[in-house]
Amino acid sequence: MSSNLQFSSSSGEPRVTTLALLDGQDLKVLIEAALTWLKTNQETVNALNVYPVPDGDTGTNMLLTMQAAFNEIQNSGEQNIGKMAHAIAQGALLGARGNSGVILSQLWRGFARALDNLEKMDAQILVNALKEASVTSYKGVIRPVEGTILTVAKDISIVAENSNAKTNDILQILDYIVAEADLSVQRTPELLPDLKKAGVVDAGGKGLFYLFEGMLRFLKGQPLEAAEVSVKPLSAMDLDKIREKIEPGQDFEWVIDFQPIGELDSNKFSDGLKKIGTSIQIGEGDGMYRMHIHVPTQNRDLPLDYVSKLGTILNWTGENLVAQMEKAKIDLEPVSPGQIGVVVVSPGLGISKIFASLHVSSIVEGGQTMNPSTEEIVRAFENLPTDKIIILPNNKNIILAAQAATTVTLKKVIVVPSKSVPQGLSAMLRLDKDGDLDYIVADMTKALQDAETGEVTVATRSVEINGVHVEAGQVIALLNGDLVEAASTLDEACLGLLEKANTADRERITLFYGENISRNEVNRIVDKIRAVYPSPSHESALHESPKQESPSYEIEVHEGGQPHYQFIISIE
Amino acid sequence: MNEPAKPLGNIYISHQAIATIANQSALESYGVVGLAAKNIVEGLAQVLVKDPNLGVVVHFDGNAIAIDLFIIIEYGTRIKSVTANVADSVRYQIEKCIGLPVTQVNVHVRGLRISNPD
Repeated sequence: MSSNLQFSSSSGEPRVTTLALLDGQDLKVLIEAALTWLKTNQETVNALNVYPVPDGDTGTNMLLTMQAAFNEIQNSGEQNIGKMAHAIAQGALLGARGNSGVILSQLWRGFARALDNLEKMDAQILVNALKEASVTSYKGVIRPVEGTILTVAKDISIVAENSNAKTNDILQILDYIVAEADLSVQRTPELLPDLKKAGVVDAGGKGLFYLFEGMLRFLKGQPLEAAEVSVKPLSAMDLDKIREKIEPGQDFEWVIDFQPIGELDSNKFSDGLKKIGTSIQIGEGDGMYRMHIHVPTQNRDLPLDYVSKLGTILNWTGENLVAQMEKAKIDLEPVSPGQIGVVVVSPGLGISKIFASLHVSSIVEGGQTMNPSTEEIVRAFENLPTDKIIILPNNKNIILAAQAATTVTLKKVIVVPSKSVPQGLSAMLRLDKDGDLDYIVADMTKALQDAETGEVTVATRSVEINGVHVEAGQVIALLNGDLVEAASTLDEACLGLLEKANTADRERITLFYGENISRNEVNRIVDKIRAVYPSPSHESALHESPKQESPSYEIEVHEGGQPHYQFIISIE
Repeated sequence: MNEPAKPLGNIYISHQAIATIANQSALESYGVVGLAAKNIVEGLAQVLVKDPNLGVVVHFDGNAIAIDLFIIIEYGTRIKSVTANVADSVRYQIEKCIGLPVTQVNVHVRGLRISNPD
């Protein structure tokens, strides 16, 4: 007896709890379900398409193939499952598009052959059909490539057979099939190097997974039309985590808080958003919603327009992601075998860029804690194509980890014990990549003393050190790691530091400003510093015989991007 | 075939090298179950010599590459799609590996193989 399945919008209730037998009409309904779910996830599959040609059309091709198959049977009232399957296979054959489409048509061909002359299909027959499908698919190519839809179809057929030993319920077997399809797809990068290189799973395999998942979802009464819109509680919308994921082709990021007029139909809202952008997240709070979206440049203004039509906009932020990403790109000069590769630990993006311009080979991001593990340091140089390595820890707490890194490698690694970024930079100026390792190390080590290091930050607690008393919240300055000044403002702290460093007898001041100070503030403070330590006067250059040589100082300001320290200062 | 002379020398890539890439790519392309000779005489010669580039003819007309493929397709597949896929794959692989444009890939279906009588 057939199950009398009808294709309609889901009610949320499972359509069946068990499935023993399928006839032609049941199969037709399942095909429609599979097709619909694949359509919903078409773009996901397209995006995974890297093999054999990365032209991003696997999802579309599989969909067109399935659509052609369905068109062949759309108006058919055929009850006989064998005849229905043949019609499906015929449709798929005529409409096959792309590699994945042709393989899909072959799978149907084998499937249909196993159902030849059969009225209905039970679990056993299903297993045979899946096996026949897989065997047929392998026959269609002389060099079958594993890690593709071929592999997934094969794995499914094996699991179907195994689960049939335990149950005759097709619904349960389908459950196993879908679970295995998912796992098989996850394994594809291990089988096909092109996938691993691209960091994706196989598109065709994923498409096949969606086809089976669509059938299962249909039977369970789950929606097929739209990927489920998850509306999270506002507190769960951690903006920092959202911000990290930037996909290619997304130029602008919008976060908009708004109060909708009346009830918000979240599905309709989400559909509307999908037309203009991606990475959509919706959060709900007290009577308000927060929406996050990425849009391409040409749609830059659309999110605000769209949301403003739905209610009152409370707050919005927009960010130009492309500009951000441009800033984050650091080009490191490649190192050749026999040359010296230098690994530095850097606390900020701006400082990383400066190191990059001085020809370091690898950068370890120190991050908030400036405490990279030995493993992280080793990973930074293990894959460099040279066996001569110098490590600049740029922080006295990292020197130990760096030393440890030298013991776990076959490369010749030496640590030049820089305790700060200015020391590290001074050392880098002595680098000659083609020089003798020991000589360069000695040179760099000597250079560590060339610069005085100043660090300016805000004290988090009260303390007394070196005869200096500090209250929490005061601005403190450290010279070469020692606390030398406490003041109530950044300008005072900086000037006090420079004085304690006998800057008057030096020539150059370089300031790296951190992430918790604005450029305007920096400029203001630097102007005050210039007042005390003037740049070379232009006037004296104009006069033929300058009356008096007054000391002048080179002052450079760079965006360091480091956390914690408002300023890292190098005095040479 | 060669690229324009570079200061340190010339780069010559043989027809053989290109044919090998095309050959491998075609054999991995779905629906292709064999490569065939252009004609019987050539076929005999290629079989006797065990030519690894059976089924592939490479033409070079100045700066770009043209390929002729002679393939055997599995009966029961959509021939139009298979040939399109093979042409696309071969073109992509050659352009990726050699770095020169492929202006033509002509696919000649020399026969169909019947694995399963339906």
